[in-house]
Amino acid sequence: MRLHRATVTVLAIIALIGIVAGPAPAAETPRRGGILLAALGADPPSLDPHQEQTFATLQPVSPLYSTLLQIEPGNYPNVIGDLATEWKISPDGLAYTFKLHRNVKFHDGSPLTSADVKASYDKILSPPEGVRSIRKFHYSAVASVEAPDPHTVVFKLKFPSASLLLNLASPWNVIFPKKYLDKDPNYFKTHAVGSGPFRFKGRTPGSMFEGERNPDYFVKDRPYLDGYKFFISTETSVRAAAIRSGRAYIEFRDLPDSEVEAIKRQLGDKVVVQSTPFVINFGITINNTRKPFDDVRVRKALTLGIDRYTAGRVLKPLTGLRDVGAFTRPGTEWAMAPAELEKFPGFWRDAEKSRAEARKLLAEAGYANGLKLTLKNRNVKLPYQDWAVYVVQEWRKIGVEAEHRPLETAAWYADGRDQGNFELMIFPFGAWVDDPDQLLSPHTPNSPQNWNRSSNPGLEDLYQRQTRALNPAERKKLIFDFQKVVLDNAYILPGLWWSRNVVHWAKVRNYVAPPSHFTNQKLQDVWLAED
Amino acid sequence: MRTYLLKRLLLVIPTLFGAAALVFLIMRVIPGDVALLIFGGDQAGHIDPKQLAAMRDRLGLNDPLIVQFGRWLWGVLRFDFGASLWTGRPVMEELLIRLPLSLELALLATLVSVVISIPLGMLAAARQDTWVDYAVRVISIGGLAIPSFWVGILCILLLVIFFGWGPPLEFASPWTDPWANFQMMVWPVLTVGYRYAAVTTRMTRSTMLEVLREDYIRTAWAKGLQERAVVIRHALKNSMLPVVTLIGTELAFLIGGLVVTETVFTLNGVGRFLVDAVAHRDYPVVQALIFLTALGFVVINLLVDLTYAWFDPRIRYR
Repeated sequence: MRLHRATVTVLAIIALIGIVAGPAPAAETPRRGGILLAALGADPPSLDPHQEQTFATLQPVSPLYSTLLQIEPGNYPNVIGDLATEWKISPDGLAYTFKLHRNVKFHDGSPLTSADVKASYDKILSPPEGVRSIRKFHYSAVASVEAPDPHTVVFKLKFPSASLLLNLASPWNVIFPKKYLDKDPNYFKTHAVGSGPFRFKGRTPGSMFEGERNPDYFVKDRPYLDGYKFFISTETSVRAAAIRSGRAYIEFRDLPDSEVEAIKRQLGDKVVVQSTPFVINFGITINNTRKPFDDVRVRKALTLGIDRYTAGRVLKPLTGLRDVGAFTRPGTEWAMAPAELEKFPGFWRDAEKSRAEARKLLAEAGYANGLKLTLKNRNVKLPYQDWAVYVVQEWRKIGVEAEHRPLETAAWYADGRDQGNFELMIFPFGAWVDDPDQLLSPHTPNSPQNWNRSSNPGLEDLYQRQTRALNPAERKKLIFDFQKVVLDNAYILPGLWWSRNVVHWAKVRNYVAPPSHFTNQKLQDVWLAED
Repeated sequence: MRTYLLKRLLLVIPTLFGAAALVFLIMRVIPGDVALLIFGGDQAGHIDPKQLAAMRDRLGLNDPLIVQFGRWLWGVLRFDFGASLWTGRPVMEELLIRLPLSLELALLATLVSVVISIPLGMLAAARQDTWVDYAVRVISIGGLAIPSFWVGILCILLLVIFFGWGPPLEFASPWTDPWANFQMMVWPVLTVGYRYAAVTTRMTRSTMLEVLREDYIRTAWAKGLQERAVVIRHALKNSMLPVVTLIGTELAFLIGGLVVTETVFTLNGVGRFLVDAVAHRDYPVVQALIFLTALGFVVINLLVDLTYAWFDPRIRYR
C-alpha cells in the first residue's frame, strides 16, 4: 500500500511537471513527396564533378551521386560515411581502409563495388589523356588505391596526410560506375549514372536541370522528395524574384542583403533566411616581382592602409563581406585568435595609428609624396568591385592613388595567373571546406595558384610540415607560423571573409546551410512541408 | 530578276567570309583563353600547368592561327561548326536548343511592333500637329528613351510585388503548352515590341508626311477621294519602303541581339548564349553564331529588297 501511495505521488509529480512545462515539442514527421524548386546562378559547363569546379555543376549533380565519405548534413565539418560504413587508419598513418555498404546499386541497376570506387579515384589521381582532374593536388599524399575485395577499399599513402580524411569527404569526388569510365573517361560530362538519392531526369542547357526520386536508394526511407528541379538564371534579381513569386523555393548559393530584405518584407514568415559564413576570402594579391612592390615597406603600407574592421561593418549589408581574419576562416579551429591577429600590420584596432605607420613606411621607401598604382579586378560587381572601391578610397587616406581597372574574367586570369601582368589585383581564395591545405596553398611559392610570385623557401617547408602533421596542436602551431610569415612580409593582403544568405521558403525543411555552397547538396534528408 | 538574284547570292560569299575572318581575328586578339577559365572556376583556382598545357593542345589552341581558321572554315563548308570548347557539345546542338525561343520572341516582338507602329505612325502623320500627333510622339519617344530591359525588370517587380506572380522560369514550346508559353513570352514580347514600335512609328510618321506632300496625293484629294482611300491606299503603300527595310533589319537583330531582355526574363535564347560564349572565349560558338547571324542578316535583307517591287511596281531588278 505504501509502495502504491509512493507510485501515485511520483506519477502525480510527473503529471504536474508535465502540465507546468507544457507538451514537449514533438519533432515534425517528415512529409513525403513534392518537387523542390531551386534557382541556380549559372549553367553547368558539364555534368562531371571531377572535371569542374563551379557550384553550377555540383549543386544540381550532387543528389545523383554517392561519395565515399561526406560532411555530415547539419553538422559541418564533421566527417561521416556515405558509401563507407567504417574505416581504419593504420598506426603509421600510411593506409586508410574503408568498408563499403553492401547492396548499393547504381541507377542503371548494376551493383556498386570497390572496383567503382577505385576507378573513380584513379580517374581523379591519374586522369587519362584528355581528361582533367581539377582537385588532383588535394591527394598528392596518395600513392595508390586498392580494392582487395568487392566491399573494401584501401588508400596507400606516400606520407601521412592530416587533410586526407576531410578530402575523401569531398562532394566533388562522386563515384562513377567503372564500366562507363572504361569505355569513355569523359562519359560523365554529358551523362549521369550514380547511386545517389535521386536519378537524372532531364536537362535543358542554359535553362533547367531535374532529378527524380531513386526508389532503390541504399539509405532506408530516403529521400523524402519526389524530385528536384533547378532553374538557371545568371541575374541575381531574377533569382530573387523567382523566390518572391514562389517559382523557386530556395537559392542555395547566396542572395545579397538588399534582396533578402525585400523578400522578407513581402513574404514575412513564409521564408527563412540562413545567414552563414563562407569559406572565401576576398583579398588583394601583390605582384612581388614588380617595383616598388618588391619592397616590403610598400607592401606593409598597403595592408596598413586598409581598415578591415570598418570594412566589415560597411560592406556586410552591401556585399556580404564581413569577417576579419587571416588565411584561415575566423571561428574555425585553425584560425588565429583575434588577440594574436591584432598584432599584425593591417589588423591593428587603431586605424589612425595604422595609417600613420603606413605613411611613415611609404616615406622611408621614397614615396613621401604619394604612390600611384593600378588595381586590376574582375568585372563582377558582387563583391569584387565593391571591395575594390572600398580599398581605393581607403588608400587615398595614406596618399596612395589607385586606378581601379575591372577586366573580363578571361583577361583577369590571363593577366593574373598566366602573365603576371599586374601590380595589384583583387584575389579571392577559398575552398570547399575549411581545410588548411587548400586555404594556405595559394600562398606557397611553388603553387600554380600563387599569383603573387613571392619566393620564400621557408613557407614551402612550413606548408609541407603542416600537411603531414597528424597531431592537431602541432599542426595548428605550424599553420600559425605560416600565416605569421605571410602577414609579416605582406606577400598578399587578406581582405574580408565572405558570408552568405541562403533564402528559402519555410516549407523547405531539414536543410541546414553550411559555410560552403558545395556541401550538403545531396538533398536526401530535405522535405517539403506542403506542396 | 534572275541576274539580280544571282549577283546578290554571289555577294553573300565575300560578306560571310569577311564576317568570319573578322570575328576569328578579334576573338584571338582579346586576352584570355578558355582553358584557363575551365580550370580556374569560380575563384582563382588551383591550375596544374601540365594539365593546362595538355588542354590547350587538345583544344587546338597551340596551332598556328591560319591552321585554326582553315580547319574551322572547312567545317563550315560542311555545315559542321564543331563543338563548344566550354561544354564539349556540338555547337549546332546547343544552338538548336535556343533558336526556337529566340525566333519566337523576334517574330512576335516584330509583329507587335508592326501592329502598334504602322497605325500609330499613319495616324500621327494624317493628324500632324494635333493632340493625336503629340500623344503618338510622346509614346514613341518614351519607347526610344526607356531601355526595354528596364521596362522588363519593372514589369517583373510590379507583378511580383502586387500580385505575387512571376513569369515561369522554364521555356515551354507553344505547341506543347501554349498557356505556359504565353505566360513566359507575353512580357518580353510586349516590352521589346514596344521598344521597336517606337522606332518604326517615328519612321512611318516621317515617311508618310513626305508622301502626303507629293503631287499625286494632292491629285487624289482633288479627285474627291475619301481620306481613308487617300491615306491608306495611296500614301501608306508608297511610304512603306524605308519602313519595311527597318522592320527587316530589326527582325534580324532581334534574333540574336536581345541579351539583356533574355537575361531579365530568364529566356534561354541565342543572345545570352553568344554573350556567355564570348565571356568563356568559346571560339567555335562565337564564330558560328556571328556567322549565322550574318547569314540571317543577308537573307532577310535580300527578302526585304525583293518585297520592294510589290510596294512600288516601278522598281525593276537588274
